Amino acid sequence: MTIYFDNSATTPVDPRVAEAMAPWHSAAFGNPSSLHALGRAAREAVEAAREQVAALIGAKAKEIVFVASGTEADNLALAGAFRASPSDRDGVIVSAIEHPAVLETAKALRSQGAALTLAPVDSDGLADTDWFRRHVSATTRIVSLMAANNVIGTVQPFAEVAAIARQAGALFHTDAVQAAGRIPLDVRAAPIDLLSISAHKLHGPKGVGALYVRDGVALAPIIHGGGQERGLRSATENVAGIVGFGWAAELAREQGAADNVRLVALRERLIEGVFAACPQAYVIGHRHRRLPGHVALAFSGQEGEAIRLMLALDEAGVAASTGSACSASHADEPSYVLRALGFDPFRARGALRLTLGRFNTEAEVDRVVSVLPGLVGGLRRIATARR
Amino acid sequence: MLSQTVELPGANCGVCGYRTCDALAAELERKPDLINRCLTRAANVIEPADKAVSARSHIAEDLDRPAQDSRATLRDSLDREFDFYLEHFPEDPGPKEIIIPHNPMLTRELEISVGDLMVGRPLGMSCGCPITHCGVVVEVDRRTGVIVWCVTGPLGPRNKGFKDIGYYIAEGYEGLITDARVDIKIGMRYFFQPRRCMLQWRHSGLVNYINKSKDGLQVRLEGLWIG
Repeated sequence: MTIYFDNSATTPVDPRVAEAMAPWHSAAFGNPSSLHALGRAAREAVEAAREQVAALIGAKAKEIVFVASGTEADNLALAGAFRASPSDRDGVIVSAIEHPAVLETAKALRSQGAALTLAPVDSDGLADTDWFRRHVSATTRIVSLMAANNVIGTVQPFAEVAAIARQAGALFHTDAVQAAGRIPLDVRAAPIDLLSISAHKLHGPKGVGALYVRDGVALAPIIHGGGQERGLRSATENVAGIVGFGWAAELAREQGAADNVRLVALRERLIEGVFAACPQAYVIGHRHRRLPGHVALAFSGQEGEAIRLMLALDEAGVAASTGSACSASHADEPSYVLRALGFDPFRARGALRLTLGRFNTEAEVDRVVSVLPGLVGGLRRIATARR
Repeated sequence: MLSQTVELPGANCGVCGYRTCDALAAELERKPDLINRCLTRAANVIEPADKAVSARSHIAEDLDRPAQDSRATLRDSLDREFDFYLEHFPEDPGPKEIIIPHNPMLTRELEISVGDLMVGRPLGMSCGCPITHCGVVVEVDRRTGVIVWCVTGPLGPRNKGFKDIGYYIAEGYEGLITDARVDIKIGMRYFFQPRRCMLQWRHSGLVNYINKSKDGLQVRLEGLWIG
């Protein structure tokens, strides 16, 4: 039985979510835009889910736009806002450790006249609010700072940066794909204009996401067609996925705090267990200001072996990931997050990401703590170990 | 009321590991450092200014710099100049390397075969790269122990199992040059950077084969060193 410690990549669908989705895969197949009974039922289901997703972040239902993924939400937020808002502001500011969905979109906007600035982070991956105070200005159109980072788990001071953006008259977007359902997010309490969520990161289905668009914020669509989702996202709605998303959001709202208490206990048990057995281990990202179930580790002197460690864990039945996605298609770019933290190129290869979720148990943590030291001990060392 | 004493937000979000803000507040008397786990407490939000190292503050300037001749940007992650990027062949799953295990007998003992997924690290003489590589075998010479493989990253090994050859020597690279700042001549040694080098470090090697192809200049480089 595989121990699944890769919940930042995706989460297993909660059985209650799957159950809620089931009818919408079969008998209830109507198109929400149809006027007959099947269509009306589908429309009601979509709108109920919209209420559920909105409630998770303190939004109004009409401020939720369903899309197909977190990546699409990020694209719509940045590209849509840039195209729709005043052209006398050309500044786009995003942090250096944003997900590629934000970074690449922001870079693409340069061809449309955007002046892109990447905000630095400190050695824990935290954005510096003072930097934003100095750089967000009357020429800034959009600021985007992720709520929590996918690689290192650090939670950003997004509410403070949102306030800085608002004060300067700029729009503020946060990629909350990792954060939604895991930490408190309330768009009534922070001046967030745009917020991206993905269902499959919170025990919902893949293929559905949402963009929160604050009432009054102008956005231009990036997908054109039949005018669904208030004209912002044309395409027949993914009804089953949206229903599942709604229930996943509701479950996260109802039991998120209890999940967090348990996940923090598991996280600390895992970190302390590894530290006790592997003196050369160190945590990447902020030690405390991190997602409840997120552990990013490296082993001093053995950072170049992260891939081998992940493979060994895989053989031992533990699904983990390297903090840097060293794959054929990304091998020349995986370290940008750790490089932005000031890691040298060698250390920037070394992250092991173990991310816990709702269905992980103490026994699984203990199993990994018992297995990991032996695997780490079998790794080649490039140099003397020092934490 | 305890939460008000220590200015906790009352969100009861559980992110600190306690069910309520009051429970955290009670524990703070014994473990004051726990306050760092409170995400929504304003005092916890901003690190001291001197901790912000602005490690990549130059990125902003880089991004807004006008597009330049690509030849002028041939610098590695240590800001050293090189002559060209070595690209992998479009028909290959990754960069092609000619390697030999430090104990060449391993090629036979492990029954290395075409299609096998392998891991190993290029130790010492030749590349000396500190990173373990993963890839798929495309040619094997059981007589000499020489293996040709394409470095692909761990996606394949994760799915299909793998063979670990331990340390190996990288004897040669094959790939494409699509742009270079100097003329490429056979028999000459050049600085180059494999496009997908995980450390983005320049290498040097001697070109001992050149072929003009539709995709670029096909070359083989041997006598490899990092730096």
